[in-house]
Amino acid sequence: MSARLDFFYSFRSPYSYLAAPRAFALPERFDVDLAFRGVIPMAMRGEAVPRAKRLHTLRDAAREARRLGMPFGRIHDPIGRGALRCLAVSEHAIAAGRAREFVLAAGRAIWSEAVDVSRDDGLQLVCGRAGLRWDECAAAARNEELLARVQANTDELVALGHWGVPVFVFGDELFWGQDRIEDLERTLRAAGLEW
Amino acid sequence: MKGGQIITRRLLPRAVVAESKVDVVGRVGAVARRKMGRCGTVELYFSFDDPWSAVALFDLAQRVGRHNAQLVLRPVVDRGIPDDPAVELKRRYALTDAKRLAGRLDLELTRSEPWDPIAANLLAEWVACAPQGSTLTRFCLEAMGRLWFSGEGRPDLGGLWRAEMGDQARIDGAKAVRRNERRMRMRGIYDVPAAWVHGQWFFAHDRSAQIEQRLDDLGWTVA
Repeated sequence: MSARLDFFYSFRSPYSYLAAPRAFALPERFDVDLAFRGVIPMAMRGEAVPRAKRLHTLRDAAREARRLGMPFGRIHDPIGRGALRCLAVSEHAIAAGRAREFVLAAGRAIWSEAVDVSRDDGLQLVCGRAGLRWDECAAAARNEELLARVQANTDELVALGHWGVPVFVFGDELFWGQDRIEDLERTLRAAGLEW
Repeated sequence: MKGGQIITRRLLPRAVVAESKVDVVGRVGAVARRKMGRCGTVELYFSFDDPWSAVALFDLAQRVGRHNAQLVLRPVVDRGIPDDPAVELKRRYALTDAKRLAGRLDLELTRSEPWDPIAANLLAEWVACAPQGSTLTRFCLEAMGRLWFSGEGRPDLGGLWRAEMGDQARIDGAKAVRRNERRMRMRGIYDVPAAWVHGQWFFAHDRSAQIEQRLDDLGWTVA
């Protein structure tokens, strides 16, 4: 049985976007079962994000995207309805076995194509690229039960004593940041999980 | 979507990213400095009671030393996001994370509890008013080494200061620390360890390779 690896992710976090391709590729190299856990953005949880931090995050993420060869810069901030709809649809995508496809498509749309996922046409575009049926996604976006799961993910991240994303949890070890995947890989290797 | 939302959600983020790619001032300044025979600089804003700062100092001292560049040490005390509810969680997590980062450098971070911030303030004041240069860098490396990579105790840093810095005066240190903090905030830096490299800033423990790359890009290549 594969070891469980939790991946806490926010659709409003550029660093989550940068981490996602490498995170979803981990099971190809390690015997892990990656559990995608979408969480509500910090700014929607009443946590202050000062201007200096917001500016630096965008500038640094742009530099990191260039280094990683990922498209970045044509942004449409999904805060509010857009983020919540993506979170609810991501829970539906997990059930449909298309979480990876949806999360990667949504991230690319939000951070490099300025797609407004709070609108039906924007979200429908993303769902189509992820191979999901729009009628099911539209229903999922309004599904309170799915949003309750997202709230539970968020509560669990807070209970783990953490505040930001992306976060990886393997056993009792926690790794925060897209730039800590190499440390996570070292730990997985040390645990004998490399294929 | 309302006009205000178009500005805040779409136009402003794109403008920030576009502006971040403009590097004319940094590059022209670097060319001018090199023509005058001056070396590059990496200003490191750091705190002695921060394990991430300890790792960054060791890493950057090595990396900057390979280039025709100087590491300028700017200790601060007041840092972070004002009224941040996660400040204690971050300090605890910093220990765990810094242990992993130290491992990348073949160092072992031995302290398991955050260090006394009051003692760290005093050390910052001494360093902030001392002249920059290799002697000060050596002192800071030795002090950080004793604080974070040599057990849990309270090392004799006063004795170390006298041994490394001699009779170097330790006056107006508090003012010098405040000056560093003001300079840091003016540059848009809100936490440590942070490195300012000719117009761009980086979290120094996360981006040491990128800091070295910036020196390369600006023409201060590996000697």
